Amino acid sequence: MAKESTTIDIGEPSTVTKSTSHAVVDEKKKSFVTAAAGGGYKRGLTIFDFLLRLAAIGITIGASSVMFTAEETLPFFTQFLQFQAGYDDFPTFQFFVIAIAIVASYLVLSLPFSIVTIVRPLAVAPRLILLISDTVVLTLTTAAAAAAASIVYLAHNGNANTNWLPICQQFGDFCQTASTAVVAASISVVFFILLIVISAISLKRH
Amino acid sequence: MKNESTVIDVPAESSSAMKGSAPLIGVARDHTTNGSGGYKRGLSIFDFLLRLAAIIAASVAAGTMFTSDETLPFFTQFLQFEAGYDDLPTFQFFVIAMSMISGYLLLSLPFSVVTIVRPLATAPRLLLLVLDTAAMAFNMAAASSAAAIGYLAHNGNQNTNWLPICQQFGDFCQKTSGAVVSSFVSVVFFIILVVLSGVALKRH
Repeated sequence: MAKESTTIDIGEPSTVTKSTSHAVVDEKKKSFVTAAAGGGYKRGLTIFDFLLRLAAIGITIGASSVMFTAEETLPFFTQFLQFQAGYDDFPTFQFFVIAIAIVASYLVLSLPFSIVTIVRPLAVAPRLILLISDTVVLTLTTAAAAAAASIVYLAHNGNANTNWLPICQQFGDFCQTASTAVVAASISVVFFILLIVISAISLKRH
Repeated sequence: MKNESTVIDVPAESSSAMKGSAPLIGVARDHTTNGSGGYKRGLSIFDFLLRLAAIIAASVAAGTMFTSDETLPFFTQFLQFEAGYDDLPTFQFFVIAMSMISGYLLLSLPFSVVTIVRPLATAPRLLLLVLDTAAMAFNMAAASSAAAIGYLAHNGNQNTNWLPICQQFGDFCQKTSGAVVSSFVSVVFFIILVVLSGVALKRH
């Protein structure tokens, strides 16, 4: 085999230090020099994301079940008002129970995606999927929480102009339980906003 | 000046297995390709247009609810013969919230212009995404609570003896329902804005 050879003249090495990194090439693989600065804090963020999801699962399941079991039966008989109150007396509360239950199951299904982002902190597709679906679910949660809150407000205060009487004066326990469920759903809204912000920060380029 | 020299042996036959792999001395990510900046600029322009549309939707919602007064020509024994948005605290919250949302959208227009001019900057986009998420939640809260009250006004509630007032105040109910629908349209715009910002933040 004939070998060719060539001579390359290298000038005197300059005193300015070069900041290139050298990658060794074998026949079998290439190695890339990547900007590895982002790996550390992103993994911390994704672990926080996973823990937030677990907390949000707990809270949404709690909110839905508390509203579902919010019944009260009065021991006496009143002339105009029904002597039983439950969540199914209000279509808004029915919507609340169903919507928050859907949100809780979505959160359980999104846990694997969150684990994938922990294992692969630089992958973009799972984070984008989580961001988009978290936004949609945030909308649903806010809708359910706000609608139930307005009905609870009405039940507490009534409305003189429309002659809607405040029912909480008779059904105190039912009102308290329903209010607790609404507060829990609002906390889960805050968690969702945090989740979306975490996904956005993790998507950011460096 | 002392010259160093070195000898590099180049084999005459290069094996075909070596083809296709290039020695890397250092990888510089090319951030100046037109393709990456181009489609992000397109996303930013679409973002700006969506903001304009959302301003219109939010201000229409606030204005319609604000001017939804109705006075009945006759006198009824039990019900008031005037209805306005300030008779229901939820509708008051709706008007205030939608006005704040319109104001926020107007103030966010310069940031959107900045993302058009500098498509690769991430700080304005991240700021817009965070603020848009909060504004969307706020908007949805106002729209949804007003929708619940509107549903109650249309249908009443037998179990609590709350009478549907829409049977007397038809115009008032129509206008408030229109305002709520416009507010839901604004929420949809916000969702698209948040997703756009997320996609535009994406690395390559």
